[in-house]
Amino acid sequence: MSLDVLSQLSTATAARAQAAKNTVVAIRISEGRHLTGLVWQSGVVVVSEQALPRSEEFELVTPGGATVAAKFVGRDASTNIAVLKTDEPIAAPVYNAAEAQVGTLTLAVGADGASGVSARLGMVNLVSGEWHSRRGGLIDRRIVLDIQLASREEGGPVFDTSGGLLGMSTFGPRGQVIVIPHATLARVVPQLVKDGHVSRGWLGVALHAVAVPDALRESADQSSGMMVMSVVEDGPAAQAGIVAGDIILSVDGISANRFRMIARYFGGDSIGRKADVRVIRGGAIVTIQTTIAERRAA
Amino acid sequence: MSEVAGNIDLAQRLRVAVHTDNPLRRTALGKMIAEAGHMVVDLKDEADIVLADGSRPSEEARNVIGLGIADDRLRGALPREADARQIDAAIRAVAAGLVVRAPPPRDNGFGAMREGDGQALLTPRELEVLAALAEGLTNKAIARRLDISLHTVKFHVESLFRKLGARTRTEAVARAAERRRNDIIML
Repeated sequence: MSLDVLSQLSTATAARAQAAKNTVVAIRISEGRHLTGLVWQSGVVVVSEQALPRSEEFELVTPGGATVAAKFVGRDASTNIAVLKTDEPIAAPVYNAAEAQVGTLTLAVGADGASGVSARLGMVNLVSGEWHSRRGGLIDRRIVLDIQLASREEGGPVFDTSGGLLGMSTFGPRGQVIVIPHATLARVVPQLVKDGHVSRGWLGVALHAVAVPDALRESADQSSGMMVMSVVEDGPAAQAGIVAGDIILSVDGISANRFRMIARYFGGDSIGRKADVRVIRGGAIVTIQTTIAERRAA
Repeated sequence: MSEVAGNIDLAQRLRVAVHTDNPLRRTALGKMIAEAGHMVVDLKDEADIVLADGSRPSEEARNVIGLGIADDRLRGALPREADARQIDAAIRAVAAGLVVRAPPPRDNGFGAMREGDGQALLTPRELEVLAALAEGLTNKAIARRLDISLHTVKFHVESLFRKLGARTRTEAVARAAERRRNDIIML
């Protein structure tokens, strides 16, 4: 074997890519198109929620090249995780969780649609602490990779150089490739397998941050709020009489512009709780009592 | 029409027929076509291009440019909110034998909630003005609709441009739409 370090690296990454073959399956989504699924446990396949079409049944191509049927188990848009279960068990590798560090090399693996893999060598570009998605889900670490990814590769595993699993690849804003960390998968997948969804509190509104009009700034005692853009029919907010155009200032005293605190407040334990929602409506500030419900399956 | 596909003649005056059930849209599209230097003709007459809004005319053998129509057979496909320059470019390109597609809206991906990231928030009034801008209303028409003075409308439009970093009305509408896609929170 050559002592040249570049050749060694190349040989090593090629071997890793081959070894990763049993970590992925191809999920057929239409004629000639597929997504990558991460084989999490025997028969349990994890997918990027945002990429998975709505269907109850899927066809997968396993590492051996066999086509197997799989059933939809559950999805959680707030953490971008969906789970499928194969009808026949498929072997799953054992993963070691790895922590991301800026500057370390990564291997992102995808399914090639037949029985093989595709691979991308990259680097951990950025790492920071936990963050909340737009839908309020808690993601344990922010991990950004410097690679490009084809849409068919989204949902595959991302490994570090010692073969540890950083998590599942997915697309962030503007095509940025990010990783849903192992810790988040380990927390959410069992809930999806058990219940088909992740319990969260819910009011049934779509919100957009707006500036509070000058005339009301003093009485509202805050400069921004969340305007209700739409209300889910028969949802808790609709039942309480909240309508599109209302500007939510706070929920139980938590400022509506503190999204992260609000997201935390609407965890699974909030279901059934009464919540006082302070809103601006027609130039006046009113308080409306709502009952937090369980979020419906999206 | 040019012999070689893709030879776009910018001085060419083309005959364009409009297919729509909406009289307001017919007027607006007719105006855009005329301002781009083309001739608006009746659907029954000879036309180089049929501009179809919302639905595809049945049994149409001529070159159709669809606005907001998902149909792969169309020679031209633009989003419904395409502006005058995009429509003109599509008309000339399709007439020159090219196929025109607008890129799909950029997938916004799995993103984070943004909290106080410093961008200037719009006021409810500004959002109303923006909605009117998106419909192509003039300042005068906006003043009438919102029952405010023309001066106030201009004030709000200026403020929108500043907050959104836009130079034109179209740009302001596009920027706001992108913001909205990225910043809607479901609770």
